[in-house]
Amino acid sequence: MKVSKNELMASLKKAFEGLGFQPGDYYDAADMVVWLETHGFDGFDRLQAALAYLNTTAPNHAVLVQEDEHNAVLDGEDSSILLCGSEAVDLLVAQVMQGSVAGLQLNNCYNRTFIMQRLVKAAQRNIAFIAYWRQEDYCVKVSVAAGAKLPEYSTFAMTEILEPQSLSIFAGTDLEVIAEQFAAQLVMGPLLETYTEAEMTACYLDSLEQGIEIDEALWQMLEDLVTRILVESTESSRAGAGD
Amino acid sequence: MDGVLHTNQHSIGQQAGSDTQLLPLRPASQVMQLERLGSFHQSRLSFMRTLVRRMVSENWQITSPVFDLDEQGYGTVVYQVEAKYGTFSYVLFSHYLDPDNRNDRVIANQWDLTMALCEGTVDAKQLEFLRNNVPKQEAGRVDSRVLVLSRANRSARTFDYVVDELTAGRQPCIDVIAEVGYLYRTTAAYGSGKLGMADWEKVRTKHRDFARPFAAEMFTCFMLRHFSMQQADYLAAQRSPQTATVLHKEIKRYIGIGNSTGLGMAPFLINHPLLINQWIEMRETALARVVAASEVGVDEATLTRLEAATQRVIQHLGEIVTADERQNNSNTAVREELQLIHQWLQEQGQVLASNHYVWADLIQYAEQSCRIETQEVLNTLLIELYPELVDGLEELMGVEESMQVMPEMPVAQLQQIIEEKYDWALAIDFSQYESMGAFWYRSQEKMEPRLGQTNIDMGMEKEMPLAIGRRVRECYDLLCAYNQTYPQQNVAHFIIQSPTYSGIVSRIQTMAQSQYGEIRENLVHSDVLPIHLLRCKLSFFGVSKFDPRSRLWVRNTMFQGAPLISDFGKPFVDDWQFPIKPVLTST
Repeated sequence: MKVSKNELMASLKKAFEGLGFQPGDYYDAADMVVWLETHGFDGFDRLQAALAYLNTTAPNHAVLVQEDEHNAVLDGEDSSILLCGSEAVDLLVAQVMQGSVAGLQLNNCYNRTFIMQRLVKAAQRNIAFIAYWRQEDYCVKVSVAAGAKLPEYSTFAMTEILEPQSLSIFAGTDLEVIAEQFAAQLVMGPLLETYTEAEMTACYLDSLEQGIEIDEALWQMLEDLVTRILVESTESSRAGAGD
Repeated sequence: MDGVLHTNQHSIGQQAGSDTQLLPLRPASQVMQLERLGSFHQSRLSFMRTLVRRMVSENWQITSPVFDLDEQGYGTVVYQVEAKYGTFSYVLFSHYLDPDNRNDRVIANQWDLTMALCEGTVDAKQLEFLRNNVPKQEAGRVDSRVLVLSRANRSARTFDYVVDELTAGRQPCIDVIAEVGYLYRTTAAYGSGKLGMADWEKVRTKHRDFARPFAAEMFTCFMLRHFSMQQADYLAAQRSPQTATVLHKEIKRYIGIGNSTGLGMAPFLINHPLLINQWIEMRETALARVVAASEVGVDEATLTRLEAATQRVIQHLGEIVTADERQNNSNTAVREELQLIHQWLQEQGQVLASNHYVWADLIQYAEQSCRIETQEVLNTLLIELYPELVDGLEELMGVEESMQVMPEMPVAQLQQIIEEKYDWALAIDFSQYESMGAFWYRSQEKMEPRLGQTNIDMGMEKEMPLAIGRRVRECYDLLCAYNQTYPQQNVAHFIIQSPTYSGIVSRIQTMAQSQYGEIRENLVHSDVLPIHLLRCKLSFFGVSKFDPRSRLWVRNTMFQGAPLISDFGKPFVDDWQFPIKPVLTST
């Protein structure tokens, strides 16, 4: 079945609310899922993976482990980027606004691809980002130029053993400054694949024109989560609607 | 320069078109009071008004390639719309509805009419698809070729009466029409991607004809009005071709579309503060431009127009029939106060022609002498006087809605922002039971928003987050404590410590950069009047004749007094607000 972007956003927000997310969190999480799906990054597959976890635990955020002027480490405590991605990017932005560059490591977190939407949104404040993480046996690198509407997404062979559930993000005034400052940490193996801006744009425009294809079972799963925030209707409650 | 201009704190510059001088706007502390918002009336910037101006001036061509109704008026109609930039199809299904099942509530599942506005032309296959889904409304699915889905019910008081009169060759009594104002009532007009429809982003970027907020939804209601009268004429002709007549054009212009609006509309105003800010800022900009235009007095012709408009509103309000005592009393009081304004204008006489900022003086007089509803009627009338200063603002009613945390902000600064911008929220004593005596929730029945009583109704634990004032208070208290412990820290660190407050923090930081947008009322107070929220939004739609049925829902009319399709392309004076009974000249 096909759904519109607005419809999907509305359903996701309520579904995440049904999972116990608070207003800021469910807005951000819905934004992340929709962005990935409408730009060709399998947002729904990643959502299903996330739901398997989110459906069994209370919403959990990251905690600050360590911080100095230009670096910070957060422990995601096995949470999803859908929940702890925003605070990680916010912390990085706060640091970079006070200096010129900053780096952050978020450990023990899942569904890291969702971070792309947060980076693109934060990049609108004229900040550049580079993020990378290990995905199975390769490395994903995402670069967002300051002010860019779309990221550069590439995969590389791994040259070092990366923590399987960690995410590294660097921020600065532009990509060159980041690459220079954090050169030692940004050594990648041979390029494997690149997903181009043109592909992302085509995917987005198609979703806008035709709607977004979603598996009916997943849609139903979201609807079921939405029911958690609904209140049983009674004769008395109908009076609260204007009768 | 007297009165209102002295008290204003805010101003707007380049954003509102070509203004190079800064215009003083009314402060949010005055404008964003719930009672005042609930006293707004239609203006030149209302969406129906701007749509009508566009359709008439661009001479949209509307034909009906399919008009397949039986002798009872049931069947299918497809109108083809040739607008300036594109072709659209308005598809309507007319069904038999058992009167016992006629229900205006959102929980209804059958209607007299169901409609869809589609892009392009509709072929047989798509028509069949629509026939299988549109009548089901929320229980069906449509696709991204559909821009709006809507439904309507007949007025039990007027429809059959009008058809009977036309069948007998008579025009309906204008008093009967005046009492109701319409033949059909719409109970919903869904757009913006609901049920698989086209996203607003698609409509905005692909269909310039409807690239303003709610333009497609308003057009759907306008076409319903057209059909309602065409169907009445058609049925009369079917029943008695020899005797039947058609509705007089003046009566047709006086017939609108009814609308029932309940709590479903209320959360919109809370959940879209940036859009509400934009609407209100444009309206306030219009008012400020009008006041500025009176810097060197006003001419005789303008004064005459204002006096005529004032008399028209007095008549309009006198013709409203409502069982709501509060609304009746208000209408009576406003009429009396408008007479006072009329007298004030008379007493000022020739002085007005040369007085500096006459309208500022008049607004000040109204603020000192009249109730809020009268003040806002006057503001609407003043805005009407200067189309050349106001109409360009219609292109600025949309806004990209995005809230963002500014994590680098020191917590002390956020604390200060709350104290300055949300002083109204901090002034509420939430320790009082009444201050949290109500809560908003979504019902299992079509997710209909409802208002419950705390500790009486079920569902408090599933409360919708509409109590912005309370959430701000909670955030502020936490922030103060945090700031005492970590005075050098920024918002990013506060959110890491209190992550569940990121939503309200981003709202506070985002809205602090705008003037309006936050409704300055505790929406979970026991005595909250949600009807004010509904009226505010409806005023921007452009409705008239408010008829509250309780504090939770209101009936009103849309497009009453507006031009007809047959008026498109002809000379047009855009003055159909506050409709009054027509005086029939000839048939």
